[in-house]
Amino acid sequence: MSEKRLSAEEVRQLYDRHGPALVAYASSFVSDPATAEDVVHQVFHRLLSAEIVMPEAPAAYVYRAVRNEALNARRRGVRNVPLDPKSGVFEHRDGNPEAALTLQRALSELPEEQREVVVMRIWSGMTLEEVSAATGAPANTVASRYRYALAKLREKLRPFRQS
Amino acid sequence: MEDYDEQFEKYLAEFRPRRPRALPDPINTHRVWPRRLAAVAAIAVALGASPWFSRANNSKDKDSVVKNVNVIPDIKREPPKLSLVTVTQMALKDPDQLDAQLTEASRRMLPDFRGSDSTLRVLAKE
Repeated sequence: MSEKRLSAEEVRQLYDRHGPALVAYASSFVSDPATAEDVVHQVFHRLLSAEIVMPEAPAAYVYRAVRNEALNARRRGVRNVPLDPKSGVFEHRDGNPEAALTLQRALSELPEEQREVVVMRIWSGMTLEEVSAATGAPANTVASRYRYALAKLREKLRPFRQS
Repeated sequence: MEDYDEQFEKYLAEFRPRRPRALPDPINTHRVWPRRLAAVAAIAVALGASPWFSRANNSKDKDSVVKNVNVIPDIKREPPKLSLVTVTQMALKDPDQLDAQLTEASRRMLPDFRGSDSTLRVLAKE
């Protein structure tokens, strides 16, 4: 893929589309939602400063960058607070904080590659083909990861769906 | 791609991740201000350091001359180098001394035309 330097407008569009999903993704590495948000912000700050030349698809790049930044934050010992229902990363449409918290916990328990596929697909609105292109994993592998991830999440969220 | 549990996908989509705070608006200020500040700081340091450097050089020259005079009395005493700052200070304090210094400096720095083997005589002969 060709290298590209994004304009400020393109960075903002990327942020609008993927920002919330990236916060959810980052929060599966660092449990503190504020830190997850800081991580995403730092990545986009660097993009805005136009110092980054993207060697790949923008979505793939920001996911990789957020992952690395979140892992660095975790290594630096940024506080790892217990999940708080009031300040979780997710909000449920019907306002069920317990379900939202369970989802956040379940996501962070998924293997990294499965978690990535689910977040990209559900909250970044990417097709599995796009996820495949972004992650560099074959389409069939991505599909399997997605299927396994959904099965695990379904199991964890079953009590809330029944109620 | 396979057909997945669409209902469960829809259920998951009911959870919305929190929207992060907005990105800062004036992007360019991040890039321009540090450079401007650095440039201003560099100029300020250069301006502040130049008198100090010239004084330091002058005092160093004087010291070395004094030492040389003590050790080897025959060596000619080299006059201090003239910087823009010292010349300005001298012009304000003692114009006569400035004239003397400039005359002496011109003898050292300009080609000598008085001696038998001066540059001008050599050129004239050619």
